[in-house]
Amino acid sequence: MLNLFHKPVRVALGALIASSSLVAAGAGALGSSASASTTNITFALPPAVTPNYIFPVMGAAYYSNVNLYQFQAEMFRPLYWFGNGASPTFNPTLSLAQAPVYSNAGKTITIKMKSYKWSNGKPVTSADVLFFMDMLKAETKIWPVYVPGEFPDNVVSMSAPNASTVVFNLDKAYSTTWMLYNELSQITPLPAAAWDKTSVNGTVGNNAGTTAGAQAVWKFLTAQAQTVATYATNPLWQVVDGPFKLKQFDSTGHTVFVPNPSYSGPVKVSYGSLTLQPFTTDAAEYNALRAGTVDYGYVPPQDSGQIPLLKSQGYNSSPWIGWSINYFPLNYNNPTVGPIFRQLYFRQAMQEMVNQPTDVKKALYGYGYPTYGPVPIEPKNNLSTPQEAANPYPFNPSKSKALLTSHGWTVKPGGTSTCTNPGTGPTQCGAGIAKGAALNFNLQFATGYTYVSQEMQQLKSNLAQDGIQLNLTSAPFNTVIATAAPCKVGPSCSWQMENWGQGWSYGPDYYPTGESIFETGSGINEGSYSNPINDANINATHTISGTAVLYKYENYLAKQLPDIWQPNPDFQISEIRSTLKGVSQSSLLNFTPEYWKLSK
Amino acid sequence: MSDVSDRSPETAIDNAEVSQLVRPARRRGAALLQVFLENKLAMAGVVIIVLIVLFCFVGPMLYHTNQVSTNLANSNNGPGAGHPLGTDNVGYDVLGRMMVGGQSSIEIGFAAAILAGVFGVLWGAVAGYFGGIVDSIMMRIVDAMLSIPTLFVLLLMAALVKVNQFNLTLAVALFAWLVPARLIRGETLTLRSREYVQAVKAMGGGASRSIFEHIVPNAIGTIVVNITFQVADAILLLAALGYLGFGIPPPAANWGSMLSQGVTYIYAGYWWLIYPVGILIVLTVMSLNFVGDALRDAFDVRLQRR
Repeated sequence: MLNLFHKPVRVALGALIASSSLVAAGAGALGSSASASTTNITFALPPAVTPNYIFPVMGAAYYSNVNLYQFQAEMFRPLYWFGNGASPTFNPTLSLAQAPVYSNAGKTITIKMKSYKWSNGKPVTSADVLFFMDMLKAETKIWPVYVPGEFPDNVVSMSAPNASTVVFNLDKAYSTTWMLYNELSQITPLPAAAWDKTSVNGTVGNNAGTTAGAQAVWKFLTAQAQTVATYATNPLWQVVDGPFKLKQFDSTGHTVFVPNPSYSGPVKVSYGSLTLQPFTTDAAEYNALRAGTVDYGYVPPQDSGQIPLLKSQGYNSSPWIGWSINYFPLNYNNPTVGPIFRQLYFRQAMQEMVNQPTDVKKALYGYGYPTYGPVPIEPKNNLSTPQEAANPYPFNPSKSKALLTSHGWTVKPGGTSTCTNPGTGPTQCGAGIAKGAALNFNLQFATGYTYVSQEMQQLKSNLAQDGIQLNLTSAPFNTVIATAAPCKVGPSCSWQMENWGQGWSYGPDYYPTGESIFETGSGINEGSYSNPINDANINATHTISGTAVLYKYENYLAKQLPDIWQPNPDFQISEIRSTLKGVSQSSLLNFTPEYWKLSK
Repeated sequence: MSDVSDRSPETAIDNAEVSQLVRPARRRGAALLQVFLENKLAMAGVVIIVLIVLFCFVGPMLYHTNQVSTNLANSNNGPGAGHPLGTDNVGYDVLGRMMVGGQSSIEIGFAAAILAGVFGVLWGAVAGYFGGIVDSIMMRIVDAMLSIPTLFVLLLMAALVKVNQFNLTLAVALFAWLVPARLIRGETLTLRSREYVQAVKAMGGGASRSIFEHIVPNAIGTIVVNITFQVADAILLLAALGYLGFGIPPPAANWGSMLSQGVTYIYAGYWWLIYPVGILIVLTVMSLNFVGDALRDAFDVRLQRR
């Protein structure tokens, strides 16, 4: 068993309106005060991040931690659960099936379902697993963590010999750890007996048994999921196997769950309701926390000096560190600036203008850590290498400038540097870069977090020393992640740099082999980074056990800079009401509120 | 009175008559000035406005700071040597930033107010002069626009259009002209029935002559007073936009954005990010309002000593 597998899933942030912070905070606090009673627990959502999608087979625009872990997972539990308290490991107890059994030299997987039930009384069966798989196979292109040739392509056939058994036949043998932590971890059984239809009044049956049928079912369910206003009333979404059912939901993300009385997991909910409270900014959330209307919230880094005061108000502080890395992507396929981004020397020049230690100290107030490569260096683990932790490209403005001048650019500090020596030679600008090309870029970053704005302003200022003009704009989280989508070279592939502020938290690819975000063709490889050596390194981690192949992959990629690394903040500095017991903060960022209890 | 000093040929009078008639006009100017000078709040306002303008436009020549490059390592430092009012959350000197931020606030405020004043005066004068269907249509447009929440529309525009000083000026003026239009339209309804306007018509003078040479000059008091208030309103609106995150993006500065940023650190106790700029906004707006009040009194004939 690995020491620390953790997850990455893109930290969800989303947002609505970038403003009225104090007013909104006050309103939010007042709105929830009545529910902060002995029977309700109010959990503060990250600033400007809201749940906005209920159907688990979703595209990248909705693939956020909040949607995955704080929203959907409370109703639809994944086949395999990861995280044992704070330990980021496989959790057999909370999984809906027994651990997979391998046979046929590792090419066949047999999964035995446990005796879970849907809220309509029907059992969670192998058919529900195949229902999910059918839709996934039919719609692989929308699946954010899909990589061509990998899951579900590598499942060449599947069957359900009986209601409690699923059999997958693979195209070849894989590392069992990688298969469990990164592939089977993607499965969420869905209620086929209620959802397998193509219209509201359609007949429920094995419609998803064919590719065309599965596409029609997925299309129907997607259309239903896009009607956010009906989430709490649509009968489809009331058939759940998780510990909660949705009682209230509105477009602001305000969510109220009530216990699912039919939940057949090991621990039943012991309180009346769970409220997910959205906030537009971290300052707004903090105001609500000070007002005592949040049971489980967070203190913004800039207000961390107030932790003793919050302690006196009955809150216990606990930093929540995610198994994640932070970066912002460059769009390699942008027809104008893509050729510049493809030059390693240019990415190095940019990276050497990111002063991560200072960012951590001054913008994050110490509640974060640098990102120097594809594997998190915190929490402490045996997967990140000394080379990565040593920072291959430390802050060095003079070296950054020298990299540009030595590659054919005339650097104009404070102005705009231009390519004056085009060509593909070692001292020239590089392929596809014309004479006169300017280092002038657009970067959109997410609103809500103060530190993101600080870091981006500092980066703009630093890059100006190289004559790199960064045109900053800001937008809500959901807008940023929707914009940062992989695209093919062409006029419509126009975004240049997008920063949603929290990079990637590893999940459901819990083992940080990076195929979801860095392998060619991955659905969530936003910038379309492509490197054959990196692809080969990644693929080696899929079939060869042990850490040596992982080290080789990460050491190489840390120096290749597929994106621009930036400091990784703690997921949050949690403030938990002292009467709220049973809370464990998994570095995988999922949570199990059914374990929470309110004491007097 | 301004109507007797105009240069229209139909009011041909000899030099002696002009001399006699100009004297009362000068006397009225003196009376106006006297009423204004006697208003102590207005005088204080003028002094404060002058000081603030000097602070914003002359200050940076004497107090040199870097308001372009950030320095995160030097962020959120309290007042001390080198930074009398401390630094903000990206390391800008707060005192210097207040100067730079004030420049854009004052420039946009005055520009928007003048633009809105000119357009509003023309709109209102035309509507009032012609009356009838023209007046009805033009004023219903004004009514319709007045019913739209200004801040809401400005926030929407700020989200759709790149925010810069020029666009902000236009955006603020887009809604600011409505009030002067209504005021001048009311004035025009009164003035158009005066003998000198009727005389122009009788002698074949056109609408433009009546409006530009008789009506507008006679409504100058209302116009000046309103523009003064418009400046104050525009600066306040800019501050509100900046506070809500829709000001001119960094490294440009404005007072509203500075205040908004400072409020983020209210619990951290970084008072230098809040009080100085907050006081500056209040002082500027209050002073402009004092001046506007005093001008209104000064133009009121009943308050002038005879």
